[in-house]
Amino acid sequence: MPLLEIRGLEKHFLGVTAVDRVDLDVEAGELVSLIGPNGSGKTTLFNCVTGYLAADAGAVRFRGRDVTNAPPHRVARLGIGRTFQQVSVFPRLTALENLLVFLQQHQEERLLARLVRARAVRRLEAEAVERAHRLLDLVGLRAKADAPAGSLSYGQRKLLAFAAALMPDPELLLLDEPAAAVNPTMINQMKEHILALHRQGKTVLLVEHNMDVVMDISRRIVVLDHGQKIAEGPPEAIRRDPRVIEAYFGR
Amino acid sequence: MIVGDLLEQVLHGLTLGSMYAMVAAGLALMLGVARLINFAHGEFFMLGAYAFWYGYRQLELPYAAAALLAPAVMVLFGVAYQRTVIRAILPRSWHVQLIATLATSIVLTNLAIIVLGTQPKEVPTRLSSTILDVGGFRIAWQRLLVLGASLVIFWALHRFVTRTRTGRAMRAMSQNREACAVVGVDVQRVAMVTFALSAALAAIAAALVSPLFNIFPDMGTVMTLKAFAAVVAGGFGYVNGAIAASFLIGVTEALAGSYVSYAYKDAIAFLVMIAVLLWRPEGIFGRRIGI
Amino acid sequence: MRRAAWLALGAACFAAPWLVAAVVPGQQRYVLHVLIFTALFAALALSYDLVVGHVGSLSLAHPAFFGTGAYTAAILSTGAGWPFVADVAAAVAAAAVVAAVVGVPLFRLTEHAFAVGTLGLGLVAWIVANNWVEVTRGPLCITGIPKPRLGLPGGPALAVTTLPAHYWLALAALVAVVLLYRGLTTFRLGRAFHAVRDNEPLAGAAGIDPLKYRMLAFTIAAGLAGGVGALYVHYLSVMCPEEMTIALTVNLLVIVFLGGAGSLRGVLLGAVLFTALPEVLRLAPTWRLVIYGGLLLVVVVRSPGGLEGLLRRAPGAAR
Repeated sequence: MPLLEIRGLEKHFLGVTAVDRVDLDVEAGELVSLIGPNGSGKTTLFNCVTGYLAADAGAVRFRGRDVTNAPPHRVARLGIGRTFQQVSVFPRLTALENLLVFLQQHQEERLLARLVRARAVRRLEAEAVERAHRLLDLVGLRAKADAPAGSLSYGQRKLLAFAAALMPDPELLLLDEPAAAVNPTMINQMKEHILALHRQGKTVLLVEHNMDVVMDISRRIVVLDHGQKIAEGPPEAIRRDPRVIEAYFGR
Repeated sequence: MIVGDLLEQVLHGLTLGSMYAMVAAGLALMLGVARLINFAHGEFFMLGAYAFWYGYRQLELPYAAAALLAPAVMVLFGVAYQRTVIRAILPRSWHVQLIATLATSIVLTNLAIIVLGTQPKEVPTRLSSTILDVGGFRIAWQRLLVLGASLVIFWALHRFVTRTRTGRAMRAMSQNREACAVVGVDVQRVAMVTFALSAALAAIAAALVSPLFNIFPDMGTVMTLKAFAAVVAGGFGYVNGAIAASFLIGVTEALAGSYVSYAYKDAIAFLVMIAVLLWRPEGIFGRRIGI
Repeated sequence: MRRAAWLALGAACFAAPWLVAAVVPGQQRYVLHVLIFTALFAALALSYDLVVGHVGSLSLAHPAFFGTGAYTAAILSTGAGWPFVADVAAAVAAAAVVAAVVGVPLFRLTEHAFAVGTLGLGLVAWIVANNWVEVTRGPLCITGIPKPRLGLPGGPALAVTTLPAHYWLALAALVAVVLLYRGLTTFRLGRAFHAVRDNEPLAGAAGIDPLKYRMLAFTIAAGLAGGVGALYVHYLSVMCPEEMTIALTVNLLVIVFLGGAGSLRGVLLGAVLFTALPEVLRLAPTWRLVIYGGLLLVVVVRSPGGLEGLLRRAPGAAR
């Protein structure tokens, strides 16, 4: 059973069909890239899957469970993490706090519990801080742990958002253009991180425009155009697929 | 005579509704064209009423002259308000606009209390005291005037928005402001005209209904709330929607006031609007683009 | 240094009645009255800041909750003879319940509709208070509300009759609210609130249900407002509908936005400034509102981005 199953997903906006009956499966442990020309519906698909947009038709199943149109926080709690195309952080919280926020689901604040099992709560909090520090180390932001996220550079915020998405240890990670608008060094960093996740057995679905990155790291590529899936397969096949070439160049 | 009573109340409701509609239309225009939230809009109504009272009672102008004085004064006031407060808050977030205009509303209301006193003013006219009696069905002529005038005004507004250049610019701005600036529409001027128009509409409504109701400094607050309720329920910035929702509020208020409780009629009307919004969060007419 | 300053301040606050007697012997009663008002208003402003400053919902309905608590306490203590502690608890509960009930539909509305809706709720509450004469006596007001008695019914009790005693009660309430405020706005819960305020879409991606946290802040704040209302009426012995008009909202907005939304120190400072000052200047209520409105207008318009940054959501995902 695939980890993520999308069946017949549709989304319309005032006369424009952004996602047109898309079927997409992602098996556990896969590294899949979703590509397509601008406006082909990739981010809309992400938004439908993660609950930010209500799908007009179709179904989404995660680990066999129907999660169609579940609200974002429920999707997150089920084990799907994501990043956003326009880098999204909590600007007034420190880098460390940005990461700690993502562990909300595991450490629900209950006033009574706080009083009764104070020691357990404190231990969980300490573990959370430790985990956050390790992730900050991973992305090289340890020095900025106490800096407000709003003061970080674009690239740093991107790394922070990436680290934050990893905090709750999601099974499936949806990355929206991780290589966009950053310098080549950062791009390589990102590639390494994603490949490392893949080696650890995490499932990754990423939307990306940077063809070098896509061809380099993907095991399987899915191509969208005008909301429809037009091709699917390994990088070599996609590279030569005439429909894909036409979608990108032939208009 | 139950049917007669009902009809009378419905007609009263439509009269109320047309008053709300004129005020709400102006508010919707501002929202649609200039993306402005103006919580002091009810004060245009209140000050317009006082301007009418001043013209009719103090200056002893004939009704028509006093009724035109009100919008004239309010347009001037509107321009002054636009140049000072509005210009500063227009580019800001709607929270800033809301709080700033709410603050303005409080300032204006309390200044009115200080200058004009809290005693309500009455401005009965010949038409408000003359009753049309048709087979037991009674209605003051003034109410018919309000209804009739509002229909004329809405027709004129429609023509203005569809036929004139400025009107078309307003519609264009409500759909795509950036594009308008690019093609050479004088965005500032159109915004100014829209603002003056919305102030005038509120003032005309005030001049029309002042003979029927008391004038007091607080009257703007409730009017703002109802106008906003109508605008939001009609689809935030969609003028026809605001007008339709206004009539709904008016009729609900009249019927609630007559058959349920006069004291609570405002509360009931407001709760009905909330219910409508819960049923259709985007407004009765759904999400629309443009006025 | 910080610690010492706080302790000194605390000591001064506690010793205020004696300090006042020493410094302005003739005006003692008046100054204490102003201090009591200030303490209660500060507590009210902090409760309002929970909603506006920490979770970022622009609610204009606070007078409704203040009024609910105030009338509940007034009615139960005069009509049903409830003891002080019980009617204050009931006031807190009543206000919180009202908030929970109206919060469900209100939070379903879009932002703008929410603001209008809360404003309307305030109006509806006033209409009810003004017209439900059988219960609230409407414009005639509820009078003869008994002074607070801290203790068990039938047992020994501490009667709060003197002005200094009222002051200490108000101060104690303020301290309690401050502690609760701090507890709610720091650590995990505070982070969650701020996440919802600053970037709601991202908060969702972090597994935080924005509705749940908004409702939590809204309900707790309402309960606190109700509690302050109860203390208010037990001090004044009178409750009228005029106490729950939009003027109260404007007062709170001024305190929170001029003092600094989301900041404990800022709100406390704002409360002291904007409650004590007009009393000291003996401003007529209408002039007070004119000046407050003007101040609010100027500050909101000219604020260097603090206000914007507070209420605006950070650029984030599509919604």
